[in-house]
Amino acid sequence: MEPNREGFTKFLRIGETLYLLLSILSFYLLLLSRTWEAHTVWEILHPAFIPTLCAATALLLTILPTSEKVTHKLLFVIVHSVLIHSFFSIVFPAGDNSGQQMYLGRIRLVYDNAVLHGWPPWPLESIAFQVYQWFRGINFQAALSVVFARMFSMDILWVHLFLVPVLWGVFTPIAVFLVTKTLSKNDTVAVLASLLLSAFPYATYFGAISTHNSLGYIFFFYALYFMLKNLDSNDSKTKFLMLAFSFLSLLSHYLTGIISFSLLFLTVAFKSYRAQKTSSLTARTSLAIPFILCTSLLPFSFIYLRFFRSGTHVAFTLSRFYELPFKEIVGLFLIGELTYYFDLEAIILMIIGPLLALLYIAYRLHKMRKTSSADFRTPFSFLFVAFLMILVDYRILKLLMEGLPIRAERLWVLRDFIAVPFAALAIYTAFSSLRAFLRAKSLPSITFSSLKSIFKPLSRRTFSQTKRSIINLSNHLFIALLFSLNLILPLLLAGWITVSLSVAYPQVAPLQTTNYELEAVKYIEENTQEKYVVVGDIWTIYAGERIVGLNNPRAYYFGELEKTGIDLFTNMKSDPSPEWMLLAMNYTDTTTAYFIVTEPRLGSEEFQSVISRALNNQQISVVGVFGAGKLYVFGYGKGEGV
Amino acid sequence: MKTRLGLGKVEQEITHDEKLLFTLISYVIILIIFANLSGFQSPVLGLLASAFYFLINGIFLGHAFFEKETAFFRLILGLLLLIMLLGFVGWLAVIIYNLDVIRFTLVLIIVATISSLSNKRVKSKNGA
Repeated sequence: MEPNREGFTKFLRIGETLYLLLSILSFYLLLLSRTWEAHTVWEILHPAFIPTLCAATALLLTILPTSEKVTHKLLFVIVHSVLIHSFFSIVFPAGDNSGQQMYLGRIRLVYDNAVLHGWPPWPLESIAFQVYQWFRGINFQAALSVVFARMFSMDILWVHLFLVPVLWGVFTPIAVFLVTKTLSKNDTVAVLASLLLSAFPYATYFGAISTHNSLGYIFFFYALYFMLKNLDSNDSKTKFLMLAFSFLSLLSHYLTGIISFSLLFLTVAFKSYRAQKTSSLTARTSLAIPFILCTSLLPFSFIYLRFFRSGTHVAFTLSRFYELPFKEIVGLFLIGELTYYFDLEAIILMIIGPLLALLYIAYRLHKMRKTSSADFRTPFSFLFVAFLMILVDYRILKLLMEGLPIRAERLWVLRDFIAVPFAALAIYTAFSSLRAFLRAKSLPSITFSSLKSIFKPLSRRTFSQTKRSIINLSNHLFIALLFSLNLILPLLLAGWITVSLSVAYPQVAPLQTTNYELEAVKYIEENTQEKYVVVGDIWTIYAGERIVGLNNPRAYYFGELEKTGIDLFTNMKSDPSPEWMLLAMNYTDTTTAYFIVTEPRLGSEEFQSVISRALNNQQISVVGVFGAGKLYVFGYGKGEGV
Repeated sequence: MKTRLGLGKVEQEITHDEKLLFTLISYVIILIIFANLSGFQSPVLGLLASAFYFLINGIFLGHAFFEKETAFFRLILGLLLLIMLLGFVGWLAVIIYNLDVIRFTLVLIIVATISSLSNKRVKSKNGA
């Protein structure tokens, strides 16, 4: 090995070891930040965490362009990816209150064999409704979580909390790498793209919460990769994998499934377009019509959802054009929901990635007119059309439809995923061009004598010497710029990725499920032999969902929006008496009832008032006090007090 | 270099699967997982056994579907396929009836069998 090369390898190993140490330290700091009572991750993160993470990211970015093996680089990116998607699962006692606790409430019933034939446990009006429910992602996520929980012999809470952060952290960077590699045929750009996905806030957020929609995104990413691969091959395995991932994407969530199948049809259209081998108007029309059809698939699927799901009333509308001011419509068209954001930094962080991708696409399209190989053109055009399709779909959902069962912004994750390879290419192209420019300017290389001449007194110089000195000085400047560029770029990108986390993880949130709420629910579960019902607010229900599940006949917690549960809690608050508890028991066919009140949820004044009224009532008794008096559990049994 | 040779060697040993040795090991692992779930309930044993289950069957599927990729991508993509398969067969069990310990064990057996058969099919196709 050459001495220079050997020195570089040693330097690289030191850098890699340092990166791994910083990553371990980041995990440790995240663990130290774990708290029992918090609203957002930001209020309790260890002060050294963000600087450590930023330093680790910058170090990783300096490793990525080196000659290190791609597999090693990808493993480093995976460590980084798992780290930044685990904030909620590591810091909060039971993950974020963002919907994932509701899914856990349903999945736990499957884990406890309390439901048969999947969710929902109640009979449905028609066979179409039943089939739709089977294909809803909750059943697929339940199956996956229960299989893992049983394999590892762990409680489903832990498996559920880490299911998506780990799967996303491991498989998403690989998917981005594969897609970018297919597009650019360049390993360095592909690895850069795999890390750059972390700079897209919406994608980071969905990788941090355990919902079936997140699983759908993962499968969509791979479906997209195999579609790209299929464009240039007729391999039956690729076709099978493309279909399998699209189907699994549909099984996980219909949004990702419908988009997967739309792109699948687009792939077929692309292949037939290529087979025609002409760029005539007819051939182009044969591509435009499928594009319109594929783009309309998602909006129409929402319209026809009413045949499979009761209470869905999605419709096309022009009401926004009549009701909203023109400025707002333009804002919605350009940046969507972000038009209502007040924080300019958040808006910039949300749009900078896709904007970079759009700029690169425009630049590339301009260049492609002159020179481009067919190899590059097909995947590029397909991804560009897919990107365009999602942009159009988002605007249709946002401006022309009402009554949607989900937020249209979920399409941003798909948009971001397609934008990442282009954004990475944009950065790489800009950086390479700048470096090439500086290198060209800084030549010829500096010699000792030329260096000496710079410092020679001006009076002793000839005109040619002075000219040479000026050239040398500019050489120095360009070399310094070149050197700084190699340092500045990793720092800039690391800064971008780290700052993006401030938008990805909410800055404002309600109090997350606390440790004492979980303790109370566990205490009831462990100390009650007979069937019981718990009357509490929605936060108590969230805690209950995590430990015993929702509507569990043995340990009953009412649904989050179930009117009976809400009414019973309201009545218990104003009149804590056995009357309501008996009613709850009769309604749920149980023999014991509990009533839970929590100070931070009710507010001190109301909490004290409810507690004093409940304590004055001799018929119901205090079963437990948790969180140093912040949570009271009252109980009552059929026939007598508990 | 050592790692690459190690992974390549393990992969070669597993995919050759002479006399279905690794398929049998996979079934023994399922038995251990079942026993652990029914008796010991040790997460350490569960994680260890599952790691071997994932390794063997992930390599089987990686070999069957991603032969042209490098060893690293074969393993990663094989693992993803295995997870998909576990999810899909588990989902079938959930909607048909439920996913209690017995049916869960059946899911593991079905997935291990599919993985082994896929590997066998590719092996016989290649004449190895």
